[in-house]
Amino acid sequence: MIRNYFKIALRHLQKNKLYAFVNIIGLAIGIASCLFIGVYIWHELSYDRFHENGNRIARVTWEYHFGDATNKTATTGTKVGPQFQRTFPEVESYVRLMKYPRVIGYQDKLFEEKTFLYADSAFFSMFSFPLLIGNAATVLDAPDKLVVTESMSKKYFGSEDPVGKMIKVGIKDFMVTGVAADAPDNSQIQFDFIGSFTSLNASKEEKWTEANYVTYLLLNNSEAIAPLQNKIYAYADKVSKEEMNTTGDEYMKYHLEPLTQVRLHSKLDGLEPSNNIVYIYILGAVAILILLIAGVNYTNLSTAQSARRTSEIGMRKVLGANRLQVFNQFICETFLITLLAVVFALVICTVLVPYFNNLSGKEFNAEIFFKPFTLLSLLILASVVSFTAGAYPAIILSAGKVIHILKSGFHFTGSGTLRKSLIVFQFVISVFLIIATIVILQQLAFIQNKDLGYDKEQVIILPVDSKISEQYDDLKKALATTSNVISIGGAYESPTHIGWSDGLNRPTDGKQISINALPVDEDFVKTVGLKIIAGSDYTWGDVQAFDTTNQGNNIRYTFMLNEAAVKALGWSPEEAIGKTVSKGREGTIKAVVQDFHFRSFHEAINPMVLFLDKRMLGSIFIKISGNNTQNTIAGLEKIWKSRVPHRPFEYKFLDDEFNDLYKTEQRTAGVFTSFAFIAILLACLGLFALTAYSMVQRTKEIGIRKILGASVVDILSLVSKDFIRLIVIAMVLAIPIAIFATSKWLDSFVYKTKMEWWVFVVAGLGTLVVSLIAISLQAIKTSMANPVKNLRTE
Amino acid sequence: MIELQHISKWYNVGGKPVFILKDINLKVKEGEFISIMGPSGSGKSTLLNIVGMLDMPNEGAYHFFGESVYNLKDKHRNELYKKNIGFIFQAYHLIDELTVYENIETPLLYQNVKSSERKAIVADMLDKFNIVGKKDLFPSQLSGGQQQLVGIVRALIAKPKLLLADEPTGNLNTAQGEEIMQLFQQLNQEEGVTIIQVTHSEKNASYGNRIINLLDGRVEPSLQNASH
Repeated sequence: MIRNYFKIALRHLQKNKLYAFVNIIGLAIGIASCLFIGVYIWHELSYDRFHENGNRIARVTWEYHFGDATNKTATTGTKVGPQFQRTFPEVESYVRLMKYPRVIGYQDKLFEEKTFLYADSAFFSMFSFPLLIGNAATVLDAPDKLVVTESMSKKYFGSEDPVGKMIKVGIKDFMVTGVAADAPDNSQIQFDFIGSFTSLNASKEEKWTEANYVTYLLLNNSEAIAPLQNKIYAYADKVSKEEMNTTGDEYMKYHLEPLTQVRLHSKLDGLEPSNNIVYIYILGAVAILILLIAGVNYTNLSTAQSARRTSEIGMRKVLGANRLQVFNQFICETFLITLLAVVFALVICTVLVPYFNNLSGKEFNAEIFFKPFTLLSLLILASVVSFTAGAYPAIILSAGKVIHILKSGFHFTGSGTLRKSLIVFQFVISVFLIIATIVILQQLAFIQNKDLGYDKEQVIILPVDSKISEQYDDLKKALATTSNVISIGGAYESPTHIGWSDGLNRPTDGKQISINALPVDEDFVKTVGLKIIAGSDYTWGDVQAFDTTNQGNNIRYTFMLNEAAVKALGWSPEEAIGKTVSKGREGTIKAVVQDFHFRSFHEAINPMVLFLDKRMLGSIFIKISGNNTQNTIAGLEKIWKSRVPHRPFEYKFLDDEFNDLYKTEQRTAGVFTSFAFIAILLACLGLFALTAYSMVQRTKEIGIRKILGASVVDILSLVSKDFIRLIVIAMVLAIPIAIFATSKWLDSFVYKTKMEWWVFVVAGLGTLVVSLIAISLQAIKTSMANPVKNLRTE
Repeated sequence: MIELQHISKWYNVGGKPVFILKDINLKVKEGEFISIMGPSGSGKSTLLNIVGMLDMPNEGAYHFFGESVYNLKDKHRNELYKKNIGFIFQAYHLIDELTVYENIETPLLYQNVKSSERKAIVADMLDKFNIVGKKDLFPSQLSGGQQQLVGIVRALIAKPKLLLADEPTGNLNTAQGEEIMQLFQQLNQEEGVTIIQVTHSEKNASYGNRIINLLDGRVEPSLQNASH
């Protein structure tokens, strides 16, 4: 019997190719979208679940309020791990981690390695990172021991056994003691090298402050987290009073985050940027919406074209079929279509996997779609879709009274309303996604085009370390000889993101403001194009006046403040010039620069102080003209290699660094653009097919109208009028939802684009035009046909 | 076999009932070959559909082999129908997507006949009606007469006791029509199938052994008596 159902379903598909095409392709696109999103979500949810001790591991984060600054960080001081283990019996062991880019050298190989971790010796026993060679208990138990991953072992040692070899980390020699498997991509602890924590100078002293380390605790059971948390709050209270001498409303707290929650539920990035569970929900919702649109197409098309099936259904009933048998037949037919769609979806996914990786920042390969688990999920999904999309048509079609079917064809009572509501629903989703996309793109354009207060174009960034620092001025001079170099400056951090926080005092009344600080050299301001609005730029004279003798006790700073800082101190820019303020040591305010965005647009511009201190530079900034960039870079590389042999020539562009700040937003924009496109495509596909069927049903009517003198335009407006009305209703419904959602999203930015009325006009008109085209494709054909011929075939 | 008592069917038009059938009383014995005649709109097809359990009257009772049809549950009525009644239409109503073989097989599917048994029964019938060569063709590849023949074979496949035909020759030419009528007669006389047909043609009606004349939803009494 089932075979018979499938046979008739196949024959039917062959006969109605348009119907089959629209349904299968539409559902395939919907299922493919779902599959992509599903795989993405599954991957995100699987983060850090592979650790056997996963439910007993917690990350410690630090919240403190000292002075007038409140801060929350995922990094803690060196004391937290060992002290907690000594104090709380439920803490079995701890691991402190620090990620620090290091230059690694072995024989003639020299690379800068970004994912270099320092870790305590319990690392391999706490986490389930398999150690291929070496003893988990001892590989990191002494200074200057190093574990490399399998792929790094290949990179540096080829086929040789790395264990026992000496390798240069910076200027120190480390001994390789083990080889670990590469960290799985769903781990938020990523590493290529792990050096023993005791190799760090900082490990010699335990401190609550100088929080540069991510601390993980292994507890003796998974239930311990909540009770331990309370003990830790009380303990931190005691510590802050006794050891940190907090006063007034000052406090510090340590929070525990279960390891498996870090990736999606923590607001604090750790070693790797985290993701946000909200994005997971949004993506999940988008997947369901897309699938709904595709399902709606199926339901609509089946009911719309069921008129053609009436004699068949009638006959089957006359031949003895009961209602359930007819119902089953239609469900089987839907299932067959969905199954074909699943096959197509798998093809689509396999082909589009690189594009999807690009969009999502993941590295999937097509195999993931063919795992038994994925296929089983698809089968379940297909069954659910078949049943929900197919049930309504199946019920309607199987319910018809034989006598009515045979006599007068089929008439849906009320199903027109359902079909109309479903079309409205589809277009609400489409219009919503289009508006959301435009707003996101607008905000990205706003970020790109807004005056940052500095010039991010054509600036090359190179690293500075202590060895380079010694020959800094000579290196600068040498690099400046390269053609097309305009100017060269240095600073501790990049102006795209300045993290250093500090305090600044007005000596006259002792008033302190919290401030971000950046050590710079004398050419930094002009190199990155900061605008001085009062006072003047640093000079060589200022450099010479910087007296580092007497162990730095003679230092007097020259400061530049931004407008926000001057305002916080209660001065106008002009008043500030020449005034003395103190940042640990006193200094003179030489200039005031225009506010510039030294954090992402999510944050407001805070007070900022630049101070001349060439001992603390971390990066060289080279402004080039942009003519023949390739040659300029080649020239810089040559000089770099001859002067800085210990460091590979690895450069970045300032604008790339800036764009990295908005990766999440760009990804979101990519996702929304893609899915808005898919949604409108599917909705229009549905419209197209619905028009086709309504044309067939109205062939006679249209023929008669044409004989009575209707023009093609008249006919077009006749058939499109109803659809257009539905789309307008959809727009009216979608716009408030879109306004609500997008302004929520925009609220996460301090600096944001205004929502313009034309966005809604564009989204609305765009949808209308596209859907009109979809309708017209079919309608024009029918309305141009010879009416006499149409009537004859009736 | 069949007993209709006080069967009436009407539609409400502007609050007034318009009768299609009015107080029909009819008895049919097993083995009869009845022709229902009458002008267009006299209620012939409606009567046939009521006898065939495809339609329900507004009033009246219907006994089929002593069972009160309207007091049965849907499921039982469907069983009774499936086992005993075959239908033939003027427009053949073959399923376009199915081949001749599959069309004929369909009623057996709905009676849950086993696959091997189905094959045997269908092969037997194809042979008997000389359409073995056409079994893999689709309805659109057949002439009208051939299609109706397939329609008849399909109606007979489940060995019904009652064959109902609604103007079975209406779409056929005279020669084809006569062949069908001879077939009906043969089925009635040799295999004892009870047949009720609706027809416009006096000639077709003469193949049967009783004629019922309908006019405005009533059985014409004079002719009814005359035929007795």
